[in-house]
Amino acid sequence: MGLIAANGYYLPAGYGQGQLEFSTRCFERSGLQVQLSVLVVTSALVESLSAYLKKSRQEHLARLPVRHIIDVLDEASRRWLDAGYPPRKTAIDALHVITGFSREIVAASIDAEMESSLGDHMWQALCSEIRNPLYLDDFQYSAELNGYSRAFGPELIVSFFSENIPALPHLLFMRAALVKAACLGKVASGEPAFAPLYLKTIEDIDPGIAACMAVLYWQGGSAEVEDAAFARADAAIVFGGEEACSALAERIPRSVKLLVHGHKLGFGVIGKKALGRDGIDALAAAIAYDHGMFDQQACLAPQAYYVEEGGEVSPAEFVDKLAQAMDELEAKLPRGSISAGEAAAVNQSRVRYEIRQLQAAEVMLRCPARGTGWTIACERAPAVLTVSPRNRFVRLWAVEDIFQILPALQPVRRFLQNAAVAIGDERELAFIRSLGELGVSRVTAPGAMPLPSMMWHHDGIAALASLLRWCDIEKKDTVSGLEANNRG
Amino acid sequence: MKQLLHAVQELDADILAFIEKGVAPRDADAFNLLALRVFKLQFHHIPVYRGYCERRGRIPDSIASWEDIPALFTDAFKEADLSLLPEAAVRTFMTSGTTSPGERGRIHYDEAGLSLMDATIRIAASDMLFPDGMQAAVLVIAPPPDMAPHMIMSYGMDRLRQYFGLPHSGFFIGENGFDIPAFIAALGRCEAEGAPAAVCGGTAGLVNFFNYCHDRGLRWHLPPGSRCLDAGGFKAGRRQPGRDAFLVCCENVLGIDRNLCVNLLGMTETASQFYDNTLQQHWQGLHGPTVKISPAWTRTIAVDPDTLEPLPRGETGLLRYFDLANRGHICAIQTDDLGRSVDGGFEILGRARDDQTRGCSLTIDEMTRNMGSC
Repeated sequence: MGLIAANGYYLPAGYGQGQLEFSTRCFERSGLQVQLSVLVVTSALVESLSAYLKKSRQEHLARLPVRHIIDVLDEASRRWLDAGYPPRKTAIDALHVITGFSREIVAASIDAEMESSLGDHMWQALCSEIRNPLYLDDFQYSAELNGYSRAFGPELIVSFFSENIPALPHLLFMRAALVKAACLGKVASGEPAFAPLYLKTIEDIDPGIAACMAVLYWQGGSAEVEDAAFARADAAIVFGGEEACSALAERIPRSVKLLVHGHKLGFGVIGKKALGRDGIDALAAAIAYDHGMFDQQACLAPQAYYVEEGGEVSPAEFVDKLAQAMDELEAKLPRGSISAGEAAAVNQSRVRYEIRQLQAAEVMLRCPARGTGWTIACERAPAVLTVSPRNRFVRLWAVEDIFQILPALQPVRRFLQNAAVAIGDERELAFIRSLGELGVSRVTAPGAMPLPSMMWHHDGIAALASLLRWCDIEKKDTVSGLEANNRG
Repeated sequence: MKQLLHAVQELDADILAFIEKGVAPRDADAFNLLALRVFKLQFHHIPVYRGYCERRGRIPDSIASWEDIPALFTDAFKEADLSLLPEAAVRTFMTSGTTSPGERGRIHYDEAGLSLMDATIRIAASDMLFPDGMQAAVLVIAPPPDMAPHMIMSYGMDRLRQYFGLPHSGFFIGENGFDIPAFIAALGRCEAEGAPAAVCGGTAGLVNFFNYCHDRGLRWHLPPGSRCLDAGGFKAGRRQPGRDAFLVCCENVLGIDRNLCVNLLGMTETASQFYDNTLQQHWQGLHGPTVKISPAWTRTIAVDPDTLEPLPRGETGLLRYFDLANRGHICAIQTDDLGRSVDGGFEILGRARDDQTRGCSLTIDEMTRNMGSC
């Protein structure tokens, strides 16, 4: 059996206080074993590490020009995009073993995350949220203010990452670095290996920036450890389920800025004009990809695709196309292995659709002859958007008119996030306006659901700007030395 | 219709005779023949099931073993009435629908079908819970059947009370919830009168009661022969005490010998119940491992969760039951309980769907919990 040794933690190279204790977590799959070294976390460790991260920030990160930080992060992304980069190979194997996602999915997710994390994107994201990234470096002239403004990031952000989506935690470290904040990340038990590898890359490029970052794992709900972290942080970013997030939020002091990314629902909408014979294969491939990436487990994944009736391509024909696309996707990006419970959920749902179909309901059900690899169920849209059994379980929901789905979204509006929309006619803008009013925070095209840009207001939040504190000078004429910053 | 009723009557008499012979495994051929006879009736008279079987090429004339009879997942009962005699239904049991309230599976029983279930309750309990032939005060932490007419556990416990209960047996969940003072009084009475008690209830309810007693220092020394029957079990992954801690509570709080504590697996979709062999082994002076017993009129196997193909003994998968007493609905029931076949019986390891919490998209639980407040 092949062996991969990896770390489930990252400590800055210069941090070496106290006696550290380690344990090992083992994961096995496909003839490979991952031995993950995990640091035993105590409140004392969190206290001293937080102090170290804040001190490093003060001495290095806080003094760096934002342009330099972006260059370092850009270089890190480029290294990870290189197929021959050794840590990337380690990550692909380790994450495959730990999460059960196929290697192809892990590789595709690293590509997707890193391609959207290049220097230009970071600069644009800052421009989009605070207009002028140089506000982070020093006071800059603001014409509206008729004075000067400067933005300060938090000293220390504590981030709680969500379950098992590969390569996602790097986004939070990037955001923290962009606002010149130190960041202590708590990885999830489902995906503890990527963040430590990513931070090692940062360390290789600029150890001073890496000295402001750390990754630990502890059992969620360990109050003593978490309270120690919150007591030293001035911002917290929390990903997770409703229960975990609310339990954490209750314990976070009010003085700590809190951004919560709860679990969400995505969906797609195809108008009848978009169901023309031209491009139907591409549309099927796009919808298959939306379900296939991350095996429909990310919050970005569609729980259902609404399809308007009356298109040139009939629902039955489209189901055929989609079945073919699901098969092709399986060959390219194989689905990962799933738990007994997930397989049971898929099988239970399939049987329900089949029983409905046998009772003469208008239901179409397609799946491979053996196994739970993918499923397509097509039926009239039910009254409320619900959760799919996931793991490539496509639900196509037919509606007479796309505007009919708005009431079905109403009861779950606080969970809405990502919508793929292809209406194909002049109703599109009005429809998107309605989605925005309901709570949708990202509208994209079919096939792009798993690929948000850095510019996206993540879950409707200005993820960078929300972390900032501003200082404005309203007396520009009397401050000497600021003239050089007058770019207004 | 007349022909069907006649066939059902004949079949019921034969199934009943088979059940009456007891729990112990025997006569596999007779079981198989009965299974094929029930399947033939269910295939021909439950149209949805027929379609389901035809799609799989499993029709009565093409199969020779109960193992080839298509099993239906439990969720099928949320979608359709799968009764053999829908017009003769006299009683309906509903699944608890814990993950999605308002979405409950329904199982209908005709009169003769209920008699089959009654027989399974009587015979299984005679062998597994009261092999000594003792009568006890059956004290049930569950609502009585008239209060919970659709709850199969209430029905089953009430039958136990009828068959094995002393006069002061009773149910202790009422309109206002668990009537703890009345339950405490009933335990005290058993203790005072030297009448053995059979304390019955859902595992979780008993655990709550033990916690209540622990906080208040309450304990009893129920008379020898008293026993405990808990239905359900410990859900995998939840922070609950394990089986051993439960048995310690039975001994410390109630004074019930742990060898007289039996766990019962029952579900709305199967007429029969599956006891563990603790008390039976104790009665027989045996000391083998504790396993769940499939009575002679049932079969239990584990199947691969992904392909649904049967697994060899010892491998963990989804449990599938074949129950002759399910004559009135579908005999072959596929569950999402995780378990495995072992020597002498099977083990249940929890609900497979409890482990379904990966990723960061919303779970059904989260959504249903929060929809009311939207």
